[in-house]
Amino acid sequence: MLKVTGLTAGYGELIAVRDFSFSVEKGEILALLGANGAGKSSTLLSLMGLIKQKSGTIIADSADISKLTPEARIRHGIAIVPEGRRIFPDLSVLENLIVGGHTVSKSKLDHGINTVFGYFQRLKERSGQLAGSLSGGEQQMLAIGRALISEPKLLLVDELSLGLMPKIVDECYAVLQQLNRNGTAIILVEQNTERALAVADNVCILEAGNLNFTGSIAEAQKDSRILHSFLGQE
Amino acid sequence: MLYLELFIQGIVQGSIYALIALGLTLVYGLLRILHVAHAALFTLGGYIGVIVTNQTGSLALAVLVAAILVGIVGMAVYKIAYEPLLSQPPFIALIASIALFIASEELFRIVFGPYGLSYASQPLTGHLELFPGFRLKYAEMLVIGMSVVVLSILAYLSLNTRIGIAWRASVTDPSMARAFGVNIQNVRYMNFFIGSALAAIAGVLVALLNNFVEPTMGSVASYKALAIIVLGGLGNIRGTLLASMLLGIIEAFGTIYIGHLIDRDALAFGFLIIVLMVRPQGLMGVK
Repeated sequence: MLKVTGLTAGYGELIAVRDFSFSVEKGEILALLGANGAGKSSTLLSLMGLIKQKSGTIIADSADISKLTPEARIRHGIAIVPEGRRIFPDLSVLENLIVGGHTVSKSKLDHGINTVFGYFQRLKERSGQLAGSLSGGEQQMLAIGRALISEPKLLLVDELSLGLMPKIVDECYAVLQQLNRNGTAIILVEQNTERALAVADNVCILEAGNLNFTGSIAEAQKDSRILHSFLGQE
Repeated sequence: MLYLELFIQGIVQGSIYALIALGLTLVYGLLRILHVAHAALFTLGGYIGVIVTNQTGSLALAVLVAAILVGIVGMAVYKIAYEPLLSQPPFIALIASIALFIASEELFRIVFGPYGLSYASQPLTGHLELFPGFRLKYAEMLVIGMSVVVLSILAYLSLNTRIGIAWRASVTDPSMARAFGVNIQNVRYMNFFIGSALAAIAGVLVALLNNFVEPTMGSVASYKALAIIVLGGLGNIRGTLLASMLLGIIEAFGTIYIGHLIDRDALAFGFLIIVLMVRPQGLMGVK
């Protein structure tokens, strides 16, 4: 589904992620782990075309999307649930979803909105409410819903559980797992490693912008260095 | 009766402020640039309005031509003056904007002469007696009517069309709007076109009310509009409209009741200081 080779990206002169290669298959969940500043979020932003890619190639379903705009990448089936949710606070819930479907046809937009309301009943109940007045959990649901409107084949999810009650996190993860069962690939950036490892198939661990480990969850859990240093397990 | 007259005067003035300040707040919301040169576009609109009316005799045509031409000039200002500076700190663009504003005043002086222009035959000079003892000038009715119509059309489009909703999202968080496929470059051009066209319409209306345009007519408008967008909450459209109306009304009443203590133009900043002491984020801004 997605094959990334030698990705180097950053902000101006600053390199956030260096020579990073990995791939994600249809229906796979890849956990991207590492300490703060390791380059996880920058990787997602780079895949979405939101920060400058200095070198490397990104192939989505055989098409090279390395130089494409975010708009074109959405058309190739990529969407993002950003860190900190970044919903549009002055827009209503429904309007946020409409922005999420900016690139799709009216009929697909209507279908997408109904699908999201099916996943998150609470958003339907608050569809006319300003997004900025929602609770943190509802805002996260909206951020996920907004990304789902374009029916992505690959969903980039950044810090889903940050600052949320466990019950809300469970609800959001249940939706992600349901999407995944339907074939959507997911790249998951999480500080909550336990939660990420519970759902992921494979893991990449970044350290100061460099790839430190890549493999299956089982392989990671067999590696005592990875267990102790990055996964916080004994 | 005096209260009603002052209130209407305030609404007239507030309508003008709203047309000017809306463009400024749109640019700030999207680019985080204080577009001081916006006031020069207001002046340019006034000049075009007077010249086209004098040449054709049609005020409606003058409004249309001024809006379109100044809208295009506004896009050119973005392309030439601001776009190359977007990667620089915002104060660089602010300095460029101030320079552009000062240069434009001199340009108006050179092109249109230092003494200003008036209508050869001032349009809409009459008035309507709404009820005994209360008269409203046609020009004032036009100011209120045009502001209501133009702002209502904009509000309808921004609330009810997908492009309008994407535009509002872009003003709130441009980079996130981009993540969902909104073409931010097009939105920037659209913002400058719409904002500049509104300033031009305000320029034509002020020229109509005063029967006069001059090179420096944008000076007061520039700092008043800045005060309004801070007062409303930087980048907040509803706040800007509310602040415009409030300021217009406060100026109208203030001129009569405390005009002997404080200059009319200083009232804007007095009001701004008081509001910011209570709500530092402005009337409708978010902390």
